[in-house]
Amino acid sequence: MSSFFLQTIFNGILAGCIYALFAIGLTLIYGVLNFVNFAHGELIMWGAYFLYFLMDRPLNLPLSIAFLPALCLTILLGLGSDRFIFKPLRKASRLTLLITSLGLSFFLRNGAQFFWGAEIRTYGFEIKRGMKLFGVSITPNQLAIIVSSTLCMILLYLFFYKSRMGKSMRAISDDLELARVMGIPSDRAIQFTWIIASFLAGLGGILLALDTNLHPGMGLINLVKAFAATLLGGVGNLWGALLGGMIIGLSENIAVLLLSPGYKDAIAFGIMVMMLLIRSSTIFWPKE
Amino acid sequence: MRKIIYSLILTISCLAFSGVYAQETYKIGAAFALSGSIAVYGEGFKKAVDLAVEEINAAGGIKGRKLEIIYEDNKSTPKDCVTAVRKLITVDKVPVIFGPAASSNFMAAAPVAQENKVVMISAEGAAPGLTKAGEYIFRVFPSDVLQGKGISDLCLRLNFKEVPVMYVNNDWGMGLKNVFVENFKKAGGHIMDEIPYDEGKTDYRTELIRAIKGNPKAVVNLTYIKEGAVMFKQAYEMDIKVQWICGSAAKSPKLIELAGKAVEGIIGTYPVFSQETKEYKAFRAAWKRKYGDEKIPIFAEYNYDMVYLTAKAIEKGGYTSDGIRKALIEVAKGYRGVTGDKTFDQDRGVGSEYGVWTIKNGQIVDYKKD
Repeated sequence: MSSFFLQTIFNGILAGCIYALFAIGLTLIYGVLNFVNFAHGELIMWGAYFLYFLMDRPLNLPLSIAFLPALCLTILLGLGSDRFIFKPLRKASRLTLLITSLGLSFFLRNGAQFFWGAEIRTYGFEIKRGMKLFGVSITPNQLAIIVSSTLCMILLYLFFYKSRMGKSMRAISDDLELARVMGIPSDRAIQFTWIIASFLAGLGGILLALDTNLHPGMGLINLVKAFAATLLGGVGNLWGALLGGMIIGLSENIAVLLLSPGYKDAIAFGIMVMMLLIRSSTIFWPKE
Repeated sequence: MRKIIYSLILTISCLAFSGVYAQETYKIGAAFALSGSIAVYGEGFKKAVDLAVEEINAAGGIKGRKLEIIYEDNKSTPKDCVTAVRKLITVDKVPVIFGPAASSNFMAAAPVAQENKVVMISAEGAAPGLTKAGEYIFRVFPSDVLQGKGISDLCLRLNFKEVPVMYVNNDWGMGLKNVFVENFKKAGGHIMDEIPYDEGKTDYRTELIRAIKGNPKAVVNLTYIKEGAVMFKQAYEMDIKVQWICGSAAKSPKLIELAGKAVEGIIGTYPVFSQETKEYKAFRAAWKRKYGDEKIPIFAEYNYDMVYLTAKAIEKGGYTSDGIRKALIEVAKGYRGVTGDKTFDQDRGVGSEYGVWTIKNGQIVDYKKD
């Protein structure tokens, strides 16, 4: 019984890592540009499909070589969407930006469907039994998910608190106008935000696809949870996104053991609503 | 003035031309899942329908007129199924529609067809109440009332008297689960747990953990291809060793392609038809000629039969919905298609026998108890 419980906790952490990776990208864009990028889910999906493209015929690259170019392509896609779509709308209202990102999300999803079809695909790696650790099974892919999301968090922390660019991004996130007045190069910082957000999306997408499958809707399904995690952690708050992701991942998995699994999503969102209601008294919003 | 006359002439000639064009073919609507969560099925169905249409047209069409399918993407959601069917009825004005796959999607759109008195046919809907919307709704696929009993019988035959049941949380999954549970309990079986799960998720690990609580020897999993592939893969990774028992919806080469050796040895029931008949052999040969392989997707045969039955009904009853509705019942009586006898019962459905499939060395084969 205890191994059942441990495995469930582990499953929750795993789901939490994926949600957190997505939520951080979402929250970064929100923090700096002040709108919810609904096309973030499609960056996730395209990241996975870029890797598929590089590993499929005619290129047939091995994973180790294709991995970095796939991430670079995702970053280019993110930068491109900013340069050609969001930059001209920098001064537009939040509603316009929201609708635009929704439109872009449809466009990118249908684009992937156009190139690769709507069917499910895999990278075609052989399935392996997981290693056993204290009665919990862990596969190399899952280990990669946990290690890389931890690594990303550490690097992000160092970046935001130790580097000049990170500090200017935080300044912009606090107050764009004031940051500009103080001579902080806002355009470069915004570009950098897109690079980091797309990188995290691409990485998360690839890890998720390695662990499960690829299909054009894969980003959207997990984005909804990532969005909940973002709200839960307080939009624009990096640690909040991580904590929010973990809370949602853990609670929905533990709830499956206790209640009917048909309510898995309802539980995740119920917790989100509850946390929002008691928001002021929680520890996740140290800024306010 | 001249401008107006010109534009009038242009409009009239356009209208006349389109009128002529509409006369040329018999149009049939098809509200298929070409994108969204169950598009993995939709693409296979479309191939089967296209094959049948090509054959019928090559043989001279229906009384010299060609058959044309107007595909409308139903995006795999009930809402868009209704939109697609409504568009086919009001814009394309077709008298007959090949309905959406997934029983819940089909049942969402069926009342629209019934109200507009347009015939709608399902080639893969299995929910017991699928055709209850009215006399314009048909199915060429057997109801799950039969399959639910089939799965229950299979469990008992293999001596699994205690099983948990997992199912996709929609009309189809719930309908099949209910029939299964009812039959299984009546026969003295014990249901250890009922675990519904959502479609389209990427993580079912904890649902799986819950299913094997209490160490069952077998787990009944009423799943689709995509969900099945993810689940069996995750079960394999977590080293869950139970006998999986499925329905027919997971029986597809795609499942093996996606989940590899994780699906080795799973078994399931499916409506059977003999693959030795001349109709089936001809179908398989035609498939190979057109698509170059023998990877016939799941339920392709039913879609193929549906096209032929509809063509026969148009030929006999005329190109009106009432004509087709009445003629369908007549032409189907004793009709032997690829999937066997297609005679409609009083609920405008068809019967079938059930067989057992399993996956051995990466191939779907008939199950034999060793």
